Amino acid sequence: MIFDGHEAYRAANFKPKVCILGSGPAGTTIARKLGAAGIPVVVLEAGSREYSDESQDFYRGTTAGDFYFDLDITRLRYMGGSSNHWAGWCRVLDKQDFEPKAWAPDTGWPIRRADIEPYLPEVHDILELPDFRPDVPISDDIRWVQLIKSPAVRFGEKFADELDKSRNIAVVLNTYATELAGDGKRVTGAKLWSNGQDAGPFSADYFIVCTGGLENSRLLLWSNQRSNGGVIPNATALGRYWMEHPTFEGGNAILADYGEFEVDAVNEAFFSPTLAAMERLRIMNFGIRLIETPYAGVKHVIADLACTAPDMAEWVAYQLSQNLRCAAQLYVAWEQAPLASNQIKLSKTDVDHAGVPRIELHWKKSELERRTLVEGLKLFGTTLIEKDLGRVRLMDWIANGEDYPTDEETAGHHHMGGTRMGTDITRSVVDANCKVHGMDNLYVGGSSVFCTSGQANPTTTITALACRLGDHLSKVVAV
Amino acid sequence: MSFFRKMSRRTLVQALIAVPALSLFRKRPEADAARTGPSRGDPSPGDPDEIVEINGWILKRSDLA
Repeated sequence: MIFDGHEAYRAANFKPKVCILGSGPAGTTIARKLGAAGIPVVVLEAGSREYSDESQDFYRGTTAGDFYFDLDITRLRYMGGSSNHWAGWCRVLDKQDFEPKAWAPDTGWPIRRADIEPYLPEVHDILELPDFRPDVPISDDIRWVQLIKSPAVRFGEKFADELDKSRNIAVVLNTYATELAGDGKRVTGAKLWSNGQDAGPFSADYFIVCTGGLENSRLLLWSNQRSNGGVIPNATALGRYWMEHPTFEGGNAILADYGEFEVDAVNEAFFSPTLAAMERLRIMNFGIRLIETPYAGVKHVIADLACTAPDMAEWVAYQLSQNLRCAAQLYVAWEQAPLASNQIKLSKTDVDHAGVPRIELHWKKSELERRTLVEGLKLFGTTLIEKDLGRVRLMDWIANGEDYPTDEETAGHHHMGGTRMGTDITRSVVDANCKVHGMDNLYVGGSSVFCTSGQANPTTTITALACRLGDHLSKVVAV
Repeated sequence: MSFFRKMSRRTLVQALIAVPALSLFRKRPEADAARTGPSRGDPSPGDPDEIVEINGWILKRSDLA
């Protein structure tokens, strides 16, 4: 069932056991799992079926620290959430991403990759993915990994009919909780806002917050403030350890044979470090995306190489005349170490139309991130030399140690952390089952529970964690 | 047929690279050579397999011929 507002929903007299806030990949996946288990669930979606400026305005906020995107641009507030603008790149986090790293504090998850692997076939159905091939080691340091570009499933579009026909799932559009109330043990209710006005109190046995990697922290910070700590009793880490995937053009590669790695439909290949290389260089995970360089760009690269290594440039020119494609652009997206100082705060001066404080995002890349970028590219370049596959050139700003440019991709629009998973209540917000520490009926879904970001785009892991949480809740709620 | 159409693609590319290559006469790249990458023993400055970073390029010293 899908309702256009709370009034119509209330008239239907639906009695949910579970309330899910948000209809993005996490919220929709959990709702479908619970619905399939025969558990009545209501999904509150703040937006409608389509984008609107009025809805999006609730996402405005400010940023401090490194340059970052406007907060009402980097996410979407309507049915399906930010799946409505994702590019479709898929890969679940690496096994090594779940492990603690001695050189990076606050890394390591309370679960392992093996805990979500049983859900990957289900995730592949949801995201319409083929099977992944295993990683291919091309040296002791570098793995040739696979990211697959899915059809970029828009969850609102794909599942609208199914949700509308479901007798166990009610989706209420234009409706959301401005705050949750709690007594330090349980969420006791919520205040709703629907179609531009206060819609009164609301209750359910369980609440699952799936409003996105920025909004989850905002809602819980505000709720906790309003209920004097009754929603997140252990709030030290709330809003903290926020992470992105810094993303910049890192340089160029000249390849002996471009076809060596050409497997993806979009003619791109991806490379990541081995755990041994990360340990030796004390760096985080990274992904180098190798993209065929346009012909004009190849000429520029060869001309530049001619200044440094003319014989090599002549050889490359010969290669170019043979196959016209021997150079590539290298884009790097890499893992950001979790830092408590990278955090979401509530504005003290600016509120949205419902009176909820807007977000102040404090985000800065550290020296560890810079080292990961530089050493990662050098590692890739060294590997190409050792395997006689080609040569790498770093972008000038990287080679010269200059500041990050502000006219490039910057980051992946991947919002992670803020309500991270863990066992230490001073460094995490939810436990291994995504349940808020100390609360009996409050759970969190989505990338805000990520402890570390790895290098892979988050949607695959978000969906896998949502399947796992859906299964867990099915058992808990059915009792 | 124009002059350019009579030239092979390879000749055109080599002509293209010739102009920037003139900078070699103004600047000796070896002077900027710096070791890079993980420890590789203790190669002498003349080791042809030594990894060097010059003008942003990650190269083998033997590439600098």
